[in-house]
Amino acid sequence: MIRLQPSVLEGVLQPKSAQDLWPALQQAIELEHSTIPPYLYALYSLNTSANAEIAAILQSVVVEEMLHMTLSSNVLNALGGSPSIDRPDFIPKYPGPLPGGVQSDLTVHLAPFSLNQLDTFLQIEEPEDPIEFKSLQAMEALPEITIGQFYTAILLAIEILGDGAFVKPPRNQVGPDLMPESIVVYDVATAKAAITTIIEQGEGTSTSPLEVVGAGFAHYYRYMQIKKGNRLVKNPDPHLPPDQQYSYTGAPVPFSAAGVYCAPTDPSSAKYPAGSAQAFANDNFNYTYTSLLAALHAMFNGANTQDQFNRAIGLMMSLKSQAIAMMSGVPNPALLIGPSFEYLPVNP
Amino acid sequence: MSYLNTLRLHFAGRFQANISTVNNDPVHFYNDAFRPSWQELQGPDFDPPNGWFSPGGDAAWRLLGCKVTAAWLPAGEVALSEVPASDLVLQCIVADSDRQAPAKLVDLDPEQQLVSEIWGLQVRIADADGNTLLLSDFEHAAFMDIWDRAQGQTQAGDADAGAMYQSVLRNLQWGDVSGSPFLTKLREAATDGLLSIKFNVDNINMDNTSPDFLTGRIAGTIGPAAVSEPQHMVLGRHFLAATYGGGGFFVPAGGINNCVAVVDPDASCIFLDLGNALPTIGTTGAPVDLGELTLGVFNVTDGTPFAGGAVTALGTISGYASNEWYTKTAGVVALPLTSEQLQSIAAAPLVLRSANAAFIDEWPTGVFVTADTFVYRMSPGDSVNVNFYLTQWGQPVSGATVFFTADPSQLQAQAGSPLPQFTAPAVAVPEDAIQFNGSATTDANGIAVLTVTATDPGTPRNFNDGKDYGIDGQVYGIRPSVNPQVYGGGPVDPWNFVSILLWSGFTAADPVTWNDIAPTMTQYANLYPVMNRFLNLGDYDSVVAHTRLLTLAFSLDIANPNSMPVTRDLSPAKRQAILSFLANPQRGEVAKVRAMAAPEVPAEAVTPPPLARKGGKAAAAARRLVNLSARKGSQS
Repeated sequence: MIRLQPSVLEGVLQPKSAQDLWPALQQAIELEHSTIPPYLYALYSLNTSANAEIAAILQSVVVEEMLHMTLSSNVLNALGGSPSIDRPDFIPKYPGPLPGGVQSDLTVHLAPFSLNQLDTFLQIEEPEDPIEFKSLQAMEALPEITIGQFYTAILLAIEILGDGAFVKPPRNQVGPDLMPESIVVYDVATAKAAITTIIEQGEGTSTSPLEVVGAGFAHYYRYMQIKKGNRLVKNPDPHLPPDQQYSYTGAPVPFSAAGVYCAPTDPSSAKYPAGSAQAFANDNFNYTYTSLLAALHAMFNGANTQDQFNRAIGLMMSLKSQAIAMMSGVPNPALLIGPSFEYLPVNP
Repeated sequence: MSYLNTLRLHFAGRFQANISTVNNDPVHFYNDAFRPSWQELQGPDFDPPNGWFSPGGDAAWRLLGCKVTAAWLPAGEVALSEVPASDLVLQCIVADSDRQAPAKLVDLDPEQQLVSEIWGLQVRIADADGNTLLLSDFEHAAFMDIWDRAQGQTQAGDADAGAMYQSVLRNLQWGDVSGSPFLTKLREAATDGLLSIKFNVDNINMDNTSPDFLTGRIAGTIGPAAVSEPQHMVLGRHFLAATYGGGGFFVPAGGINNCVAVVDPDASCIFLDLGNALPTIGTTGAPVDLGELTLGVFNVTDGTPFAGGAVTALGTISGYASNEWYTKTAGVVALPLTSEQLQSIAAAPLVLRSANAAFIDEWPTGVFVTADTFVYRMSPGDSVNVNFYLTQWGQPVSGATVFFTADPSQLQAQAGSPLPQFTAPAVAVPEDAIQFNGSATTDANGIAVLTVTATDPGTPRNFNDGKDYGIDGQVYGIRPSVNPQVYGGGPVDPWNFVSILLWSGFTAADPVTWNDIAPTMTQYANLYPVMNRFLNLGDYDSVVAHTRLLTLAFSLDIANPNSMPVTRDLSPAKRQAILSFLANPQRGEVAKVRAMAAPEVPAEAVTPPPLARKGGKAAAAARRLVNLSARKGSQS
């Protein structure tokens, strides 16, 4: 389970105005984004003809992390804040802790898919069981904060501030017209729906972490299917106790280690020699990635149009294509290159 | 007004053209004969050819590390005022978009690969940190005047080729340019909301193990533009080279390639663009030292300029034989002219000569005619008006006749493919599928209009005697000429013609089922391995699983860089059918039944043609009808 530093709740514990929640919501956006590069790195390292099931699971989780980033941005915008995405320190350093994470906790690497890397992902997504809904006052004394507690605190603070804290009419919202599962946030109830979606898709519901939320199980259980080698299925007997209602006995989720491209672990632009083919491909990738952050920044700051959304999708597709080419040895089969996900506003 | 202006900046750097090569071979369009190895990288020295040298390319076209190298301001009578070093523009970069996907490089057709267009390019002028000072959209454009530029290293491959792009930048969005007197002036001069841009490309790298793979050198110029002027050509003095013959693309008889100059009487000077005209040394890229270059004018005797006769020198060009010169000027030379000199060149042919006997000149009558936009995609029923500009001594000629003739000689029929066992899809037939006026008279602006009307060409490029799905539609060429009785003669630029891709008529069933679109989708899946990174375009289930993304991709404007590489090859009718299918996917009832057995796929080519090993453009150029007929002629 990921532990966050108590400082992530600065302003949240004794909220006086919407502004007090802005830093925590910006933190939330950064946290949701921070898992995307390692998940994508693992995903694009898979030869999908050999590891189709695993690729599909990773893909489903990444898509929801993007949704969570959007929902966090919607809440921040609804409270009058402005997501800040187009800047170098938006991107965490890999290897390193997740943003706001306790230093000694977990070091996240950019690495091709492996069972070791899967363990890291499980650790990131491991839910509290049950999630301890402490009061804001009780959280003040905690030396570490879980992600569930982090979002719960934001939610409690929003409830204290009330509907009056929200900008009307809805401001800079990326809604379901652009992302089907997104939620337009304009009051306490819609903010609660947005944050609950984040918590439940990530960790599961408060009643059963296994319960299906949206498109599938909570992330931890999706990843466990890979570790267990089988799909998670509901047992037919409805009278079983809650912890036995599901089991990893469904269709196989096979892992083929041979179906992973041996791209480097923890690539960085500093490690690639200047003028090398690696540096060239990586620079193109990072320039596109930086362009995507700029496009998302614009989209979450008022350019919430279909055109802008399409531009962002186009950049994501370009990134995907570039990453797969790099990791699978295109154009030079002898050279597998890892995209380093770094900020690069000028393509050298 | 154009980039050949007292107000202009030069830039230089690299470009990337990450093309995919499976569609370079027309035979690869044959679905029923397609084999998986055709998506793989070629073997050593093209053996086996497979999918050629870059089957995994994604068609991205990028500006890389381009820096402003010089900028010039009007300075009264003589236009030779370089901006002071303090001007911020000299610290600027010229970059592509940092807000959308990279631009795409797109061939018109497998049998017309020599007018590749850049689509969806944004051009930015930005400070060294990437902060945008000018954001603009590059009007899509095709390259022109490809030639055998580099000398002394290899022969006639893409790596040795040079070519140029000219277009306009529109939708100008200016940032704070107050720190740059030059950019402030440029903004003031862009009263029509346009800028003119021209760049030279050469030195492309063909080695997939090199860090420079599919990148090349770019050097260009940006200046003001007027909406009343052509976008892809300069109204100026056109120097034209006869062909020396041989080579892969075009070898100018005098060693200097086609180029253009603009006389500016107000600034008392002439701007001469040698950017794609001077040969280079293969190993270094530097312009070849041809000796002192002299711009001159043929003397007028008895009232008529006598080309080939005595020449009066106007000025000399020195110091051009270095990369530093090329980078700083992009090949643009400004020579001051006295009022007497201006008078002397007003109606007499210009000539550029070197101490080593290199030369190029204007026609004796100073006449030039060309289309502004020279690449078109058409559907049956479409009609298009093509503007041709006729100039003499750089001025528009009104009331003159321009003739138009069907000319497929530069189109690339399939003969010479690594798999010659297949029937070559002929180009430009049926001839009567395009109808056009045989001549037109120029208006007051020197514009003659060619009107092309298209009817359904049928499926002339299907394989297996027309029974098996093949290459959609047909390609045609139309060349302009002037009346030799009036304007005499001179060298003809082989690339100076209009290329038209005319799609086959296509009526979709209602509702559209997978059976209706499967041949098209399968062909794309075959030709663009890059799409395998997203889905299998040739598989019903995979397509249905991605309807949302595909609907987006197939709905985008043709100019949108996000658009998949496939969609610019697609007729509007087929695109509409695919969208209709995606809205309501249905498999359809019967699988396709073959008209007859597919021909045996022969073993991989035993002897790939030598030029195919030297690059996509070189291979295509070798297949031009003009070359094939020349070869036949030489054999008989």
